[in-house]
Amino acid sequence: MIPVYICDDEPPVRKNLEQIIAGQIMILDSDMGPVRALDAPEDLLKAQKEDSVPAIYFLDIDFPGKMSGLELAQKLRQYDPRGFIVFITAHGDLAFETFRLRLEALDYIVKGDRSAMTQRVQSCLESIRERMQAARPGQGNYCTVKILDTVRHIPIESILYLEAVGYRHTLRLHLDGELLEFNSTLDHFAQQLGEGFWRCHRSFLVNRSRIRSVRLKEQTVELDNGETCLLSRKAKSEYQMA
Amino acid sequence: MSLAFRLGTVAFTMGLMALALYILAAGILGRKIHWKSLGIFFLCAEAVQWITLGISIAMSFMGFNEDVVTSSVFDLVCYTITAVISACLLARAHRLPMLYTMSASVLGTFIANTANSLMVQVVEEYAPLFDRQHFLAFVRLYIPYILTVVVAWLAALIMRKSEFQRYFSAMFRGKGRGWMTLLVCYALMCTMPVLQLIAPDITPDVGYATFFSALIVVGLFLLQFAAMYTAGQDKIRAQEETILQQQAHMALLEELQQEIRAFRHDFTNLFSGLTLQAQEGDLAGIQDFMRRTSSYFDEKLGSEIAQMDGLNNIELYPLRSLLAAKLAKMRQMRVKGVLEALEPVRREQSMDTDDLLRALGILLDNAIEAVPAQNGQVRVVLLQEEKGLYLAVANNYEKTPDLPALARKGYTTKGSGRGTGLSSYRRIVARYRGCASRTYLKDGMFVQELHIPA
Repeated sequence: MIPVYICDDEPPVRKNLEQIIAGQIMILDSDMGPVRALDAPEDLLKAQKEDSVPAIYFLDIDFPGKMSGLELAQKLRQYDPRGFIVFITAHGDLAFETFRLRLEALDYIVKGDRSAMTQRVQSCLESIRERMQAARPGQGNYCTVKILDTVRHIPIESILYLEAVGYRHTLRLHLDGELLEFNSTLDHFAQQLGEGFWRCHRSFLVNRSRIRSVRLKEQTVELDNGETCLLSRKAKSEYQMA
Repeated sequence: MSLAFRLGTVAFTMGLMALALYILAAGILGRKIHWKSLGIFFLCAEAVQWITLGISIAMSFMGFNEDVVTSSVFDLVCYTITAVISACLLARAHRLPMLYTMSASVLGTFIANTANSLMVQVVEEYAPLFDRQHFLAFVRLYIPYILTVVVAWLAALIMRKSEFQRYFSAMFRGKGRGWMTLLVCYALMCTMPVLQLIAPDITPDVGYATFFSALIVVGLFLLQFAAMYTAGQDKIRAQEETILQQQAHMALLEELQQEIRAFRHDFTNLFSGLTLQAQEGDLAGIQDFMRRTSSYFDEKLGSEIAQMDGLNNIELYPLRSLLAAKLAKMRQMRVKGVLEALEPVRREQSMDTDDLLRALGILLDNAIEAVPAQNGQVRVVLLQEEKGLYLAVANNYEKTPDLPALARKGYTTKGSGRGTGLSSYRRIVARYRGCASRTYLKDGMFVQELHIPA
């Protein structure tokens, strides 16, 4: 079960939303719940640690006198990097791009009209269910990358290869549909990722399960998306031995 | 004199020259001495000088008589190699462009040599004559070389305190100018060996050395002048930019004003209708009206107001003016630009402002170029956090960008010879420790993120 939290300081909104969400979960018949409605962000932070993650959070955008929704979401993210965050707001002109990109928030719901809210909640829950089903098959193996204070859990099977770039200690991580560059060393990742990865060159670490072919003649390793990595002489002999 | 003593003396003089060179080069660059690279450089320079010395001795044994031509050429080669080594080490230790450190090293070589020859002449002029050879060697060689290092150290100290590197770095604003500077420095370094080549009969004396010192002084003046000129030009350019920014701001305000006028017109009309409905007691009609108009204001003026809020939150003025200019450009090109800066963006960032502007400028230009002709959208997010600054530029696209290709050097959609933007972006980012960048596709948008630690 995936816990669902609602955090809003206005009781009518909270109650309204709780009813809508509980109803939609029933209709969707997915393994979400229980739904818990809280009024203070501090309570939510406490409650989050007592239950399992990932979880679904419906958060008010600001709590007058307390922390902002942004701050709250950042704190929630630290503990639950893969959770689903939906914001509740009074205005449609919300600066949502920041939330969407920085916090990977899913969507926002505008308070007010009940039928519009129901529709929005429904689409949110549906997309959450979809995402969870998509993530299901390879669950379990994640590679942790820390960038500043943001921790990311990257599914191992989405990693194509890691590349040390000419600049000092810069590592480029090639994922499906994503490039990530940060300061680290290949040795560190070779250790963390273990046997599933192959150091085919001084500056390349490839995911074994993503290799399509090893071309000994051209001294390259081809991956299943058509990209190629270099193959060193040492790795070549290693490969021929095995 | 014993051979060991002679060899030791030669090694000592070589080492001191290397020391002087490195100290001067570091001084020109305005950096503190990086002891590890100094050590490496010391050993390398010593090795290079011994090798050149060995080759020249071997050649003279093999029958080539050691004339002036070969010795000058040997000097030049030796200087060049040591300068290259020191340039590499400095570039690595301080993460500076190679061209910059190379010029500094070459200039350092020239100054060290000049100072050395001046010191040698001066000591020779004033030293009393002795018949004890050890003592003579001490006076003739040890003192002037030690003095050279002291002079180099003093010069480096003065240069660092007077922030000479600011003037010097002004010479590297453009690629062409940078190469020019390197060439001039190299020519200066070559003067002494070349002079020897042209006029071998002249025996160096104090006047000769003084001439070179004068040359350095003149050179410094020229450099200062050039730098002041560039600073003036920079100031003019900065003012022009401010004017442009203000114009963009004015345009935005004007647009806003027109929208408000139109809105006022609409609003009076709508309300007269509403009044009528209210008089008739048409509650359902009023509710319908409320639903339709509640988001009207936001739709009409929301984006402009949000953009201004975003701009006002950026306290780093050059960054604000860059963003204002780019947003104006987007408006001109009918690209929908969204700027979000929820928290005030601090004036002090760990990244050099010039580099930050260049990096963001590249991302914005790329985004503006990649949007489709119809309904283009560029969204810019700046978020100041406790641990650093978060930047993101997102754009929609006509043709899905090929991410693996983006990673390759010089990738471009604009034909060969271009596409240096992204690689210079990477170079800038790689210079800063702790910076992380992320490139991905999300919901039909191409997103480039940059985290800069505080």
